[in-house]
Amino acid sequence: MKIFSKNHVSILIGIIGFIIPFFLSIPGLSEAGHVALSIFIIAAIFWMFEPVPIYATSIMVILLQVFFLSKQGVLFPEATAEYTPNGYTDFIGTLANPIIILFLGGFVLADAAVKYDLDKNLTRILLKPFGSKPKFIILGLMVVTGLLSAFMSNTATTAMMMTVILPIIAKTEVSDPLRIGLALSIPFAANIGGIATPIGTPPNAVVIGALSNQGIDIAFTEWMILAVPLVIVVLFVTWLVLLWMFKPETDSIPMDLKGTFQKNSSAILVYLVFGATVILWVTESLHGIGSSIIALIPVTILALTGILDKDGIRQLPWEVLWLVAGGISLGISMEGTGLAEWIITNIEWSIFSPIFMIIIFSLVAIVMSNFLSNTVSATLLIPLAVSLATSGVAGEGFSLVLISLVIGVSASLAMMLPISTPPNAIAISTGTLKTKHMTRAGLVIGLFGLIMVTLYALFYWPLILN
Amino acid sequence: MDHKIYILIVEDELEVMDALVKDLENFEAFFPVETANDTREAQEVIDYIIDHGHRIGLILCDHVLPGKNGVDLLIDLQSNKDTIKTKKVLVTGQAGHEDTILAINKAKLDHYISKPWTEKGLQEVVRNQLTDYVIENEKNLLSYMQILDAEKLSEAMRTKKMTDH
Amino acid sequence: MTDRQGISWLNDTGTILNFIRKLIKDLPELQEQLMDLNEGDLLFSQGDPLEHMYLVLEGNITLTRTQPDESEVKLITLGPGSFAGLIAFTTGEPTLTSGRISQKGQALKMRPQQFEQYLNDHPRLKHPLQQLMLNNMIQRYKSNLRLQTRTHLLSKELNKERNDLKKAYAQLEETHQMLVHQEKMATLGELVSGFAHEVNNPASALMRAAENLVEIYSKFESSHYSYKLFRLGLQSTPVDSNTQRNRMLMIEKRYPWIHDRSSVRKLAHMSDEALDLIDANQKKGEMDALINHYEAGKMIHNIRIASQRIANLVKSLKSYSRQDQNKEEHADIREGIQDTILVLSNRLKFIELDLKLRDIPKTCANIGDLNQVWTNIIVNACDAMKDQGKLTISTEATDDFIFVKISDSGPGIPEHLIPKIFEPNFTTKNQGAEFGLGLGLAISSEIVGQAGGEIEVTNKPGGGAQFSISIPIQDDC
Repeated sequence: MKIFSKNHVSILIGIIGFIIPFFLSIPGLSEAGHVALSIFIIAAIFWMFEPVPIYATSIMVILLQVFFLSKQGVLFPEATAEYTPNGYTDFIGTLANPIIILFLGGFVLADAAVKYDLDKNLTRILLKPFGSKPKFIILGLMVVTGLLSAFMSNTATTAMMMTVILPIIAKTEVSDPLRIGLALSIPFAANIGGIATPIGTPPNAVVIGALSNQGIDIAFTEWMILAVPLVIVVLFVTWLVLLWMFKPETDSIPMDLKGTFQKNSSAILVYLVFGATVILWVTESLHGIGSSIIALIPVTILALTGILDKDGIRQLPWEVLWLVAGGISLGISMEGTGLAEWIITNIEWSIFSPIFMIIIFSLVAIVMSNFLSNTVSATLLIPLAVSLATSGVAGEGFSLVLISLVIGVSASLAMMLPISTPPNAIAISTGTLKTKHMTRAGLVIGLFGLIMVTLYALFYWPLILN
Repeated sequence: MDHKIYILIVEDELEVMDALVKDLENFEAFFPVETANDTREAQEVIDYIIDHGHRIGLILCDHVLPGKNGVDLLIDLQSNKDTIKTKKVLVTGQAGHEDTILAINKAKLDHYISKPWTEKGLQEVVRNQLTDYVIENEKNLLSYMQILDAEKLSEAMRTKKMTDH
Repeated sequence: MTDRQGISWLNDTGTILNFIRKLIKDLPELQEQLMDLNEGDLLFSQGDPLEHMYLVLEGNITLTRTQPDESEVKLITLGPGSFAGLIAFTTGEPTLTSGRISQKGQALKMRPQQFEQYLNDHPRLKHPLQQLMLNNMIQRYKSNLRLQTRTHLLSKELNKERNDLKKAYAQLEETHQMLVHQEKMATLGELVSGFAHEVNNPASALMRAAENLVEIYSKFESSHYSYKLFRLGLQSTPVDSNTQRNRMLMIEKRYPWIHDRSSVRKLAHMSDEALDLIDANQKKGEMDALINHYEAGKMIHNIRIASQRIANLVKSLKSYSRQDQNKEEHADIREGIQDTILVLSNRLKFIELDLKLRDIPKTCANIGDLNQVWTNIIVNACDAMKDQGKLTISTEATDDFIFVKISDSGPGIPEHLIPKIFEPNFTTKNQGAEFGLGLGLAISSEIVGQAGGEIEVTNKPGGGAQFSISIPIQDDC
């Protein structure tokens, strides 16, 4: 019997990593910076090796910051020359950050949609025009999955779409590569679709949260204008890649999705609220009402009408909100204590061209999030990008928004392994495909995504942002 | 938390037991199969499994057994908190109407398979029952997608508030 | 009646009537009271208060009474010299009968008040009238006596008839049950022979297929280790789950590298000899392939066992119902007992069976019928023991008789019920419509009786009931 499990070792290393900076005096790093480094190390180790759930680490991060780095904490009750401590409310306040509220709205809407089968019925309707030819069916599935996962969690979307494709797979010959193509199309489309809107996936929230800490607010519409063209191209290419790698043998797929829209008053209210909220979000730049404010509308209406009941509130995925809040909170002190700047200044960034920087950040984000949670990857990388931009070491042409977007988007383009994202895990667990299929296709899409992100960052995004 | 979900077969005729076990071979990688020849032994096996932190997901039980009969055993299991959630299936050639009604009412019988069974039919019932069991009792459904009803599991995941983590 | 005392003429109704008629001629007020009786007229009807009393001078009045069930009973016909309405007249209560004139004539109609007056006014009339009344009463009393005697005789006869009827009914019932039973057995026999034919075909196909498989296997792999494994599988016997578990633990220790639970289970089935063979040949074949050779043998073994069981069952079912020869034959009773036990094997599953079937000579008997007797007794025993306990069946013979004793370890039969249990319709079971093979001990007793034997039941000293059947040995049928 082993005395120490892998988890025990991870926790031990994390704690050692936390203690070490207290006994070091690193030149150029403030006293508070040392503390922030401690917190960063333990958080990074816990997030990477997951001896505890990642949201637990986030909660711990917030507590550690309140304890050691806030004005009310034990170490810095007064401002020093190097560090002006934040009030503890700054750290715990991240839980009410506008992006968190926006996500909350998204969760509530998605829950209501699932409860009234809106997702399934929309899928049924939207799939109709794609006929019965396998390649168009796959395209249809990807479009619908992408669209839904832009507003719902990628995982829930994947689970729902699996109920659509599993019967098709069951009717297909075991030897037909179509099975693999189908099984991969759903998680890939869900991962990619998540990029499309701020609420699509948590890494987007990390990016937007970090940017808003810097006083840069990105409207819902603006994000979509930036992201949707990329999503469309990557989705389309993914479709081609899947058809090329797993060429379907059958000529047609029987599609008979059954179901009807629920017609009771609650269901109709949910449809209306869902539609209205989405419209208000995507037209944010027209009316100027912040998406987080809009997000409160469905929450309020659904709560008032009892559609969002006590159990519904309890069952919301609060851990995701804690996770994102922890990430935003960590960013605050990494920057405030000068830690991020110190990490940055140890590298001579100015010798790198902007295109090289973009490629590096994109690549690192993709590689990291293939192995780690996408949100964690974004959380760990964003503060560096922020520091690079604010410290000015990166020289001209380095746009904070640009590099944050590169990180956020790239984090969602990792889909080589079953552990990369929960949608991938669902697909592999059906047993229809092997990891090697996923790795091969995921590699191609990752590489293509890298190229596309670079191209967009160089040519398209600057056009919009300026 | 290395808990396993067991399938328990209670059958006194050894050849029949042999055939049942053989037909459930496919499930063994995920759901270890245990056997008992009478209800007393079944109770011992159940206690052993529960005491070791595992659970009984499904019990396939003959009706005519030495000592207490199958329906009585199922009723006992229904009144025990450790086995109340266990899916209960009667596999028998000769439970009368009354016994069956008793089993449905008092043991919340989940299914009735009459002998002779077919391999496909048996596996179908087992697959469905275990799918229901894991949906009702397990948090992580992904690991069962390969062996159980993946569509039903996906549907359960859809409504079970899945997040991207 | 011969004892005629008093004034003899007064006893003669005719004389009195003549006297009264004469008086009527003399007395005009009496003449006024005369009335004609017209045949068919209703004089008075039952339940009415009666205003007059009638003295019949000529003709007849018939008294009838309507019964509660609306039927009409004819009571008495009153001829000349009789009074009608005498009782109602004396008591003042409504009349108990209806009076209808059945032959025309003449009557003297009198009101109660007038009657008193006549008697006072005509002392000559008083005496004959009183005498006449007395005669009437005497007559009625006599007829009452006769009636009583008759009624008594009648009811005695009726009782006898009723008993005869009862007996006849019971006999009928018994015969009916016998017939139903015979019909049932005939139907069963037909069913069984059809069923046996249908089942025998697939069963023999199964057996043949299993044998062919064995042959094919031996051709392909003769003297090879895999064939040896197959042979061992073929000779294997299934193990109970407890042994199985222990052996699985042993296998896990012996082959720690095998994690696949179903392989462990299959290895646990094997004898040590087979395991040694596996160890010796492990490198030559994959473990799975080695296991499969053994499994193949085991499965064919299972097919053999199962199909043999089907064939045996069908055979004994056929022989049990004796459809082919439903008459007396020269046979060994023990064969019938064996068949019965096989047919009832489901009931006897958890019962310890102690057979002491000593050699007995063949005898002429209807084996099919006798099987019914065994069935009845065994099924009753199983019921009494609640399907758990010990059943002992023994046979022995003297020069003239065969004795079969069947005893159980149940609670025995309550002493007060012992005399009754061979009566028709006796049962301790709830009146459920259970389709059993036996139709009760009454029929058993009947069957044994037909064979010239006897059946009796006792409670054993150690508890439990014992049925003893004796059947005379007959060489000629």
